[in-house]
Amino acid sequence: MSTNARNLALAAAGALALLTLPYWAKDLYWLHLATLIGAYWILIAGLNLVTGYAGQLSIGHVGLLAVGAYGFAILAGTHGLDPFLSLLLCGALGGIAGLLLGLPSLRLPGFYFAMATMAFALIVTELSLALGGLTGGGTGLSVPGFPSPMNSPWGYYWLVLAVAAGVTWLTWNVARFMWGRALIAIRDSEVAAASAGIGLFRLKLTVFVFSGITAGIGGGLFASLQSYITPDTFVFEIGLFFFVCIIIGGRGTILGPFIGTVILTALPEIVAPLAKLGAFFYGLMLLIVVLLIPEGVGRLVEVLIRRFRGEPHRSHEVKPDLPRLASVLARKEDAA
Amino acid sequence: MLAVIVSGLAIGAVYAAAALAYNVMFSTSKVLSVTTGHLFMLGSVFGAWFIGTLGWPIPLGLLGAIAVGAAFGWLTEIVAVRRVLARSDEHLWLLSTLALATMGQQAVGLWWGTEPRPFPRLIEQDFASGLADQKYWLPIGLVLVLALGLELFYRGTLWGKLFQATSEDAFAARARGIATDRVRSFSYLLAGALGGLAGFAAGQLTFAFFALGLQLTLFGFIALAVGGLGSNLGALVGGTALGLLSSVASYFFGGEFQHTIAVGLLMVVLLVKPEGLFGAKRVRPV
Repeated sequence: MSTNARNLALAAAGALALLTLPYWAKDLYWLHLATLIGAYWILIAGLNLVTGYAGQLSIGHVGLLAVGAYGFAILAGTHGLDPFLSLLLCGALGGIAGLLLGLPSLRLPGFYFAMATMAFALIVTELSLALGGLTGGGTGLSVPGFPSPMNSPWGYYWLVLAVAAGVTWLTWNVARFMWGRALIAIRDSEVAAASAGIGLFRLKLTVFVFSGITAGIGGGLFASLQSYITPDTFVFEIGLFFFVCIIIGGRGTILGPFIGTVILTALPEIVAPLAKLGAFFYGLMLLIVVLLIPEGVGRLVEVLIRRFRGEPHRSHEVKPDLPRLASVLARKEDAA
Repeated sequence: MLAVIVSGLAIGAVYAAAALAYNVMFSTSKVLSVTTGHLFMLGSVFGAWFIGTLGWPIPLGLLGAIAVGAAFGWLTEIVAVRRVLARSDEHLWLLSTLALATMGQQAVGLWWGTEPRPFPRLIEQDFASGLADQKYWLPIGLVLVLALGLELFYRGTLWGKLFQATSEDAFAARARGIATDRVRSFSYLLAGALGGLAGFAAGQLTFAFFALGLQLTLFGFIALAVGGLGSNLGALVGGTALGLLSSVASYFFGGEFQHTIAVGLLMVVLLVKPEGLFGAKRVRPV
């Protein structure tokens, strides 16, 4: 019970720190960074169910982010719809795009699926350049903000935080009940999962559409935060970044990818030379994690904590209990 | 219209060469490496650097480009494939080759610059020679030679037969005393050399461009999936079809819909004939 209470206290402290961030953040830049992390996290939380839980390697989620972002820019900007309504419509738009992408591609085996999602990201960039009348082509679109309480950096941060908390809660609910178990079963063995009565394609498609919805909402918030978007904003490397966040954090958890997102977004901003390296750094991180700790950094931390606390390494070695054997033998001899 | 067809055939030859490189690596390791396209990118970038910047003679530049491609192919095997296959998790090789490909691409981008740069002329020829220009027939001729050479290698030499044995059944090959690990290393080396050579030959068509790798990884894969995984004839047919289709389509609709059309082709083929035109039927994994 004590670990449970401590976890609860930790979670409460973390939530309080996030909620009061605008009061203790050093300057507006940090607040902007935190909001960006929040917008990314809304997408990554959904992608985590697809990649971390169901094991489908979607490297092109940036395409869905772009769909949401352009949807928001066009609906709220060009057509002047209410931003909140536009945000909901962005979610629907992302869901539809996810459905259209998932219907053919989720039937394909691993590498084929990854290539199909990568191609989708490239297609979205291509179309956003080609359909200049709608998207502004290479010059891009300016994106409107939200109305009064949310038009300040603080207000916008709280809005993003609220949405992110909601999405996290949803994915947590999916992950810890039957659905999450079924997703993990698909990741570990599709054949075994199917034989246990899990409708593979339907479940994968449902989760993928959900991730499309969160990507669409995340994209809308992201666009409004950036206030100006061009096709160059949504390069393929960002999709890779989302993917690396999840793999580094560890598959099959929610906290791991969240920490991965925070660290990978903040690190290039803090350590300037890393920003120049850009995607090279993400590639290097991915390679190191895959080769050395395929279970993710979260697992590494777990192992380190255990070693630090000095918990004994549980050994499976069977040692002969010689004195007891001798006593049994002696008793047998007595009986005889 | 003839110009459209010739340029389609030329770019299709590059896609076909990428599909061949995929096949060489896939046959021995059952791994589809994301670094495949990057071998070609290295061939063209380093070819342009050796000849254009350093002023090496052309044969030396060609050898250099092949060596760089082969080295990267070998590096792929050592870093991203060998350890991962030893642990035998089916998804991890995708991640490790993707990571290596990203690193290679970004390193070249940082060093070489992100703008496409022209590739030097290989043979003395007038720039106004139109359709007979070397940038078209060099890749077309090379891919035919490569496919023929691979076929002769597989059928005619002992090493080729070791390749085939490993590809059929790696465990049985091992039991017969074939060092399958060494065969796999060699296949990556071979695919790297092939990629370096083809990237060098196609350099005038594609330019020395750092993002060429990802593009060819995708399009070479589509050519391979259309033609059928594991079939070299399929690679040639799939590459040619894809090249012709995208060049004819850009002639009619403009160049903005290249990816959309290529992926459309892939989806249609996968829906109608999931194993590709010349591929072996996949067995249900139970």
